[in-house]
Amino acid sequence: MQQKTALHVHKPVGTYRYVQIILGVFFSAYLLWRLYVVLIAHPAYGPDTWLRFTIDGVVLGSVYALIAIGYTLVYGILFMINFAHGDVMMLGAFGGYFVFEALGAYKVSSSLSFLNAYPVISVILAFLAGMAVSSTAGYFLEKIAYRPLRGAPRLVPLISAVGASIFLENAAQLLFSTQRWDYTNPAVLNRGAGWNIHVGQGTVVVTYTGVLTIVVSVLIMIGLYLLVKRTRLGRAMRAVAENKSTAALMGVDVDGIISRTFIISGVLAGAAGVMWGIHLGLVYYYVGFIPGIKAFTAAVLGGIGSIPGAMLGGLFLGVVESLGPAVLGISFQLKDVIAFSILVLVLVFRPTGILGEVLSEEKV
Amino acid sequence: MKRPITVFSVLAIASMFLFACSPARSVRSGPAVCKSDSVGCALIKSGQTIKIGMGAPMTGDNAAFGTDISQAAIMAMADAGAFQGFKFELVAQDDGGSAEGGASVANKLVSDPTVVAIEGHIFSGATVAAIPIYEKASLPMLSPSATNATLTTTGSKVFNRNVFTDAIQGKFAASYLYNTLKIKNLAIMHDGAAYGQGLAQTVNDIFKQLGGNVVAFQAITPGESDYSAVLADIASKKPDAIFFGGYTAEAAVLVNQMGQSGLTGVTFFSDDGIYGVDFLTRTKQNGTGAYSTSPVPAPSDASKKFDAAYLAKYGKAPGSLSPYTYTAYDAGAVLVKAIESVAVLGDDGNLYIPRGALIAAVRATKDYQGLSGTITCDSTGECSASGPTFYKDDGTQWVAVGTGS
Amino acid sequence: MTRHIRNGINAGIIFGIVTIFLFMIGFTTTISDLLGQLLRNGSSIAVMGFTPGIFDLLVFLFFIGMWAGISGAKKTPDKIDTWGTVLLSSGIAGLLHGILVGGLALLVGSLLQAGVTMTVYFAQLLPDAIHLFLIGLNATSAGSFYVIFFLITGLIGGVVARTIRYGSWRQNLTAWSKNKWQAFTAWPQYQRIRHNKLNLFVVYGLLILIVFLLPQVLGQYWNYTVGTVGIYVLLGLGLNIVVGLAGMLDLGYVAFFAIGAYTVALLTAPAPHHLMWNFWVTVPIGILLAAFAGIVLGIPVLRLRGDYLAIVTLGFGQIIAVLLHSDELTAFTGGPRGVAAVGGPSLFGISLGTPEGFVYLILLAVILVIFVTIRLRNSRVGRAWEAIREDETVARAMGINTWSHKLLAFAIGASFAGLGGVIFASRNQFTGPEDYNLMVSFNVLASVIVGGMGSIPGVIGGAFTLKGLPEVLRELENYRVLAFGALLVVMMLIRPEGLLPTSRRKMEIKELHDPDGKEAGETPGGKS
Repeated sequence: MQQKTALHVHKPVGTYRYVQIILGVFFSAYLLWRLYVVLIAHPAYGPDTWLRFTIDGVVLGSVYALIAIGYTLVYGILFMINFAHGDVMMLGAFGGYFVFEALGAYKVSSSLSFLNAYPVISVILAFLAGMAVSSTAGYFLEKIAYRPLRGAPRLVPLISAVGASIFLENAAQLLFSTQRWDYTNPAVLNRGAGWNIHVGQGTVVVTYTGVLTIVVSVLIMIGLYLLVKRTRLGRAMRAVAENKSTAALMGVDVDGIISRTFIISGVLAGAAGVMWGIHLGLVYYYVGFIPGIKAFTAAVLGGIGSIPGAMLGGLFLGVVESLGPAVLGISFQLKDVIAFSILVLVLVFRPTGILGEVLSEEKV
Repeated sequence: MKRPITVFSVLAIASMFLFACSPARSVRSGPAVCKSDSVGCALIKSGQTIKIGMGAPMTGDNAAFGTDISQAAIMAMADAGAFQGFKFELVAQDDGGSAEGGASVANKLVSDPTVVAIEGHIFSGATVAAIPIYEKASLPMLSPSATNATLTTTGSKVFNRNVFTDAIQGKFAASYLYNTLKIKNLAIMHDGAAYGQGLAQTVNDIFKQLGGNVVAFQAITPGESDYSAVLADIASKKPDAIFFGGYTAEAAVLVNQMGQSGLTGVTFFSDDGIYGVDFLTRTKQNGTGAYSTSPVPAPSDASKKFDAAYLAKYGKAPGSLSPYTYTAYDAGAVLVKAIESVAVLGDDGNLYIPRGALIAAVRATKDYQGLSGTITCDSTGECSASGPTFYKDDGTQWVAVGTGS
Repeated sequence: MTRHIRNGINAGIIFGIVTIFLFMIGFTTTISDLLGQLLRNGSSIAVMGFTPGIFDLLVFLFFIGMWAGISGAKKTPDKIDTWGTVLLSSGIAGLLHGILVGGLALLVGSLLQAGVTMTVYFAQLLPDAIHLFLIGLNATSAGSFYVIFFLITGLIGGVVARTIRYGSWRQNLTAWSKNKWQAFTAWPQYQRIRHNKLNLFVVYGLLILIVFLLPQVLGQYWNYTVGTVGIYVLLGLGLNIVVGLAGMLDLGYVAFFAIGAYTVALLTAPAPHHLMWNFWVTVPIGILLAAFAGIVLGIPVLRLRGDYLAIVTLGFGQIIAVLLHSDELTAFTGGPRGVAAVGGPSLFGISLGTPEGFVYLILLAVILVIFVTIRLRNSRVGRAWEAIREDETVARAMGINTWSHKLLAFAIGASFAGLGGVIFASRNQFTGPEDYNLMVSFNVLASVIVGGMGSIPGVIGGAFTLKGLPEVLRELENYRVLAFGALLVVMMLIRPEGLLPTSRRKMEIKELHDPDGKEAGETPGGKS
């Protein structure tokens, strides 16, 4: 079957191993030297700026982490990259956007909109809408584009996923045009508003939206961890990931579990989309694609198939993206280059990721 | 395996022959001007429309530009009414804004003999690739938005534009920043696209010449939602103002994130790419105090009337999709006027438009009062005579605060 | 009975959603414009009492409604569908279809009458488009009109379905065409031509002759379009080696295209380096540099699994795009403004820089590349590639050096793209970073997939479908990319071997699609 054909990660041997070591030493030495230069020899920034970079990175990273878990869940079960996952997130962001727009237009009194009168309910409603849209999209995506292809050669569902991604993006573009839209947050959650912290000579703003983002993503991740480890559904998911035919023999409804996995990963993507909107404001048809790819990078970084790995990978990637150009002293335009170079480096040096791949080699 | 390839080739070739028929582009018959004209006449048969071609990005990320500019041009054609019983029609084709698309559209438009003039192209890359093709076919062009300075320096006879170049805008912007706003430390950013980068480079050079201090020169990747890292870097350089070369899509994100990145109180100054209501609605109070440049003079009765008509027809305010709505309308109107000035109704009821004379007529445009100011073409094809007007965002609208000089 | 009702409900809901989607993306408006031009040459005379635009719209909706009816009346297994059951299911499908579309008409119509501008959120809901959709009625009457309209078209669809499926004409037609084809193949002249190598050569020679005479009769525009298709054939053939033969999904293929294009641009253009080399000198350099880039990228990533490889190559494509835009390389590559005045080819003092000249050049390149591909595919290397694609572990066990073969595939694929890039930049006389975005990679991939992975006629056919057809159907250009996406999915679902597959590949896919266990097994309701 499929699993055998894809055994491509060999243990490095011989010259390749030496090349790895030499490159590794070289990269680490360069990084240390750069750190010495920007921190001690010629301090490029004050401590406030470094802190700012780190906070931005952590917030962005926590969104990446949520998206990355969606990839990891699906990959763990189907061994395929759900290429359209980023676009599912985009749909969720639109769902939340429309809820905010509608609540903002609905007046509870002459001057007060529902959005500002009941901010907590509004935010919860936006999250629910985003999750509902994304999980519906995820469910139908699996049903239409992936399920009929189960058992086909590996390339086939991957191409189908690429096609689904292009389709979703362009459907959104045709429906909503290429215009960029900004989330209108409840007044208490104004983007940019937050606690001021004095560091060195500067002030760093810890935004409310940023804190909300981190808190929500941590809560969701804990919930998901419990779901996978403690519940019947989680046990079934792990069984299907381990071995589909055996799981089926044990009475697990494999197709149903896969469907539910896609729904869960859609819920995560929807939450990520709404958080993206609340914290960063922007929503438009292409908003999910690049974060999607980066989140996949994060999932690989952490070790694909592993949920804590995806969290760690997401945070790591967010921080590296934010700090990388500053540390390496290059233009901020090149931060995507850094993100993708990290992907290549990780795959070359440690293809199993930081926490190690959960899938046994025999399976992948 | 052999059968499909044969069948396929036969089909492919047959279909090509089907499309291959192309009538003669220009005629020498008819009125006297057609015989004397350097190229010959375009023949518009009775019942046909006079077509003005346009190459614009109608798909992809820049589709809003093509949509907006073609809509404005369509309004110009409609307002022109009929000339000797012939209506004007805009043939807008998608060039995706790329060189390949530009050349493809140009080849398509020149193969239609009833296309007599081109409004466009919209992006400089597509325009560069299209100019040689129109040059060969003797079709006059008038671009409402291709700002790359080098376009008019190659000595093209057919290319004109009624928008000012990156070089002029950059020069005026730098001097306004230094002389009027008394900015000493400027941070410059751009979006890494041809337009923004060219402008940023010019501002950088001129501002330094004037004696100013450029503390940072950074580029961003268009389309992202989070520019806080690069803004934090800029904040650490303590600029008095930021100049940004690019469009509203990114400018609005930057302005919205400036506060939290420690750039409170820093002036945001940008180009005609952000002029329009879209920037105002997307930045709200964050954008207050931001500057933009535009060739469009302060609102007049004519422009207010146009605004209302555009809103009624397309459901969106002009300037919400692209900053070039007015120049696009004017370019259409100027082309229509030039065509009307040279076209001759033949005895057979057909309309004859001498192509050589039309090229000369477009370039001879003088003192045309449009929505976007005065249009007078010089010998190289630069038609935007009025200098830039600087606008300041007062929280609800753009207020004219000065003109470039 | 319940089965018929369920079929009807499913079809009604699916078609209702599809029709609403088509309206929301403005497709119904565009297609009715197009139909107006095709059917009535754009004249504005009323047809059958309808204003022309509305008539065109109804023609389109008629077919959609009929299709819903046909699809609702789908065959139920092991049962003879009577007129009653067929009309029941198609009627239900039509009714539901009508209720959904009518509900939308009611909704947008009343919103419009209330003065709500929906364009702010849904770009295609222009007042004109809504008026057209309401066919000149008010919201309520338009809503009820659509319910009745789709009920009737659904029933017509049912009638059509029943007639097609159980009419005797169908068997007759199949038998007739089969007979004719057999008669034709049995025809002695055909046999002689088919089995005589010389005659075949004559036929192919004639074909090639026609192809070479073609640029003379084609207009400028079609020459340009054929040239574009030819460049995509080059790219497709290159990607075909990587994806189709060696089985590695490369999503960053555009990078090699860009390397070829920038090589020729920088070496021949007056700015930014003023090297002004001869075009012909730069061709091999462009190809070699692209191949070299393929090797450099290949060395670290070729040990990866298929999906990892896809993401890494995608990242590589993005890196190249970012670098071409970046300030760091502006002095070297011309930055976002690109390189203008790229040199064109000339031969013995005659410039080939016209669309016709380039068609010849591209044809030559395509023939050369096809030749190389055929030779490679039929060689030991080609068999090794296909072995790797099928099962890498077994291939290695058979003594194939998988790593070097994969690297070779990568390098050769890249070199074809480099050749394509060289011609591309030279033909446009300009090259800029905007030309090398992700969509190019996806376009090429789609042409390889649609045509049939591994098959040369497939790649040519795919390039014609994906680059040539949109030029013919320019009115529908807004929906081109959307259709690409849908096409990729649909192709994978119904015909993963492509339209013109190689016979070997066809067999393999057929085999793999025969499920032999629960894992690959399908519940009957799985396809929808």
